[in-house]
Amino acid sequence: MKSLDPRVNRLPEIDIENSVSRKDPLDQLGTYEVFVQPKEGKPFQHEGALHASDREMAFVLAKESFTRRFQCISLFVVRTTNVFVSDTTEDSESVYDRIKGDVDKGGNQQSYEIFNLYKRGKQHVHIGSVSASSPELAMAAAKNKLPPSKTVYNIWTVKTSDIRFTQPDEMDLWNTLPDKKFRDASDYKGGDKLKEFLERSK
Amino acid sequence: MSDALKELIYKIADDQFILGHRNSEWTGFGPMLEEDIAFSSMAQDKIGHSFALYTMLRELGEQDPDTVAFTRNANQFHNCIFVELPNGEYDFSLVRHFLFDTAEALRFEMLLNSSYEPLALLAKKIRGELRYHTIHANTFLKKLGSGTEESISRLQKSLDYSLPYAMGMFEPSPYESELISEGIFGGEEKLREQWTKKLRK
Amino acid sequence: MYGGGTTFEGIKAEKKDDPVKLAEFEARIERGEKIEPTDWMPALYRKQLIRMIEQHAHSEIIGALPEGTWITRAPGFKRKMALMAKVQDEVGHAQLLYSAAETLGKSREEMIDDLINGKSKYSNIFNYPTFTWADCCFISWLVDAGAIVNQLANAKGSYGPYCRALDRICAEESFHLKYGHHCVIYLAAGTEIQRQMFQDALNRWWPPMMHFFGPSDKISVHSDTLMKWKVKMGSNDDMRNQFLDMYVPKIRELGFVIPDPKLNKNEETGRWEYTEPDWEEFKRVINGDGPCNKERLAVRRTAEERGRWVREALRSPKTVYQMPLA
Ligand SMILES: [Fe+2]
Ligand SMILES: [Fe+2]
Ligand SMILES: [Fe+2]
Repeated sequence: MKSLDPRVNRLPEIDIENSVSRKDPLDQLGTYEVFVQPKEGKPFQHEGALHASDREMAFVLAKESFTRRFQCISLFVVRTTNVFVSDTTEDSESVYDRIKGDVDKGGNQQSYEIFNLYKRGKQHVHIGSVSASSPELAMAAAKNKLPPSKTVYNIWTVKTSDIRFTQPDEMDLWNTLPDKKFRDASDYKGGDKLKEFLERSK
Repeated sequence: MSDALKELIYKIADDQFILGHRNSEWTGFGPMLEEDIAFSSMAQDKIGHSFALYTMLRELGEQDPDTVAFTRNANQFHNCIFVELPNGEYDFSLVRHFLFDTAEALRFEMLLNSSYEPLALLAKKIRGELRYHTIHANTFLKKLGSGTEESISRLQKSLDYSLPYAMGMFEPSPYESELISEGIFGGEEKLREQWTKKLRK
Repeated sequence: MYGGGTTFEGIKAEKKDDPVKLAEFEARIERGEKIEPTDWMPALYRKQLIRMIEQHAHSEIIGALPEGTWITRAPGFKRKMALMAKVQDEVGHAQLLYSAAETLGKSREEMIDDLINGKSKYSNIFNYPTFTWADCCFISWLVDAGAIVNQLANAKGSYGPYCRALDRICAEESFHLKYGHHCVIYLAAGTEIQRQMFQDALNRWWPPMMHFFGPSDKISVHSDTLMKWKVKMGSNDDMRNQFLDMYVPKIRELGFVIPDPKLNKNEETGRWEYTEPDWEEFKRVINGDGPCNKERLAVRRTAEERGRWVREALRSPKTVYQMPLA
């Protein structure tokens, strides 16, 4: 390719004309949901989704896709297919009202993480974990154990073991985040230069 | 001692600067969006490290970072050839990133104990960043190294091509014995041994 | 980054929508609530949103190219770090936006296929070349400023995932805008050559900048339905007017001359008057005949093609694709 862009000039010649229409419809990776904790004492919150081959890679990619600026002390990822989603309600109806407070009759007890949606249009927030034998029963358990003070419109539950958490020895991954001022508008104050210029050009 | 120290800092800074520059060329051209973003961040980290090191050199009487980084002639750079090789395809860029960043993490691990305090402080500060780089490199290498026939053979080819160049990362400084005896840096020989051990795993 | 040039087609609601559900849907939007992926929505709403978000995403990834070329040549550490981070953000915006569009049922692969096969549009302005560093600064400051006008408006739209993506994006755009302005202030306050360099860039980029917000309301297809459903959040001329209001004074403050002798704010109407942009050129470029269209698509195709072995190796039958949740 002949271009003004030296990077483009360095690209290899590829017979693109003959290769575009062949695209494999399966050329598509799995999706993972990303949850971020901005600082100590704040809950994890859903931030978005990304494509990755497995949850280890999802974790690695989530770090720069979702936490390269502002604040973060920890993140976790889970495969989209491993998130169990409740009904959605509206107005003053809490979705927990639709969940029967069934007693969990045992079975294989596992730990589940619970996420509530308090406002339509906002993100799901992590509120804690419960032990249950199924995702549905985890919602019922949450109703008893973690009763919400606000109306909840939607619940997600995720088996704790399906989550890739930040490991204790990875907590320093965000150590230099506060120093990355070059990603922040506050590092580009042009006021003084502008004033000096305006003075000069009077 | 100051010449030895400057030589060491120049070498580390120039390696980081040139490789960061090379890797930054991938921004917008990456194999998938998420990896494009991650690779760009790590290139930014490298440029950032080089800036910190050039700033250290400024304290030692050298010119300011912009002048040093952007106006020297090619023959005044102290970097190894490995970092300036053209990017090639993603396999080579990734393998180079893996080999270089593994060495870089070990180098700064050694510098944690440097008798030159600014270096020790920097090493401490960027430890988490370097950890991320190696987690990233290991994850991708492992995944692509066991992916398809094509990905396995591409990585192998790039590895074979890279290894001789990679040895250039450990070229001893003319002041090597002084650096070691002054406790500034444990030496290229020791670093290479650790690096080789790490790769075997 | 994205302009109001989004092309909509088929703008009448289809008759077959269930009237009860449609009424509920419209009432929810009327109340200012967001529509979520699991909610019922008219087929036309889904279709137009996919089209709009997809075009926006394409504009981000293509938009990374004209500035990306200056990463390796940016003058000095401060500029280089900023530009790397900025172009990276644009790639990140594409990532966020494709995800938002995916929640409506079109996979990222399909969208990217449509882009590289020329079936889907992206913002016209990125089909122009960045000859000099000053062109790059023009984009960082003013093209991003234009994008922000659009994005802030769209962030008040009705589709939850798109609004959330835009909230993130707008937070990052404030860095782009400040950085771009910083660059231009320094060129303005610099040497005569630097000033001239930016003036030349301004001369080159003003016409595409006026095109950026899309054809004038007089000639563009209007859709009350899409306005009512809060898919389209403002008319092209309104957006253009807002941009001129905010940035013409800032450009003039720096002593640069905008290459349109008719450009003037009518204080009575509160609207800007200007030489009518060349809409024929706009059409020509959007249909593929601009200075860089071929190169931009060829670069994207090459990137896709070169990255294919990576994606193939990362694929596994165990991790099948699923629409993201929100
Ligand atoms: Fe942009
Ligand atoms: Fe953007
Ligand atoms: Fe931007």
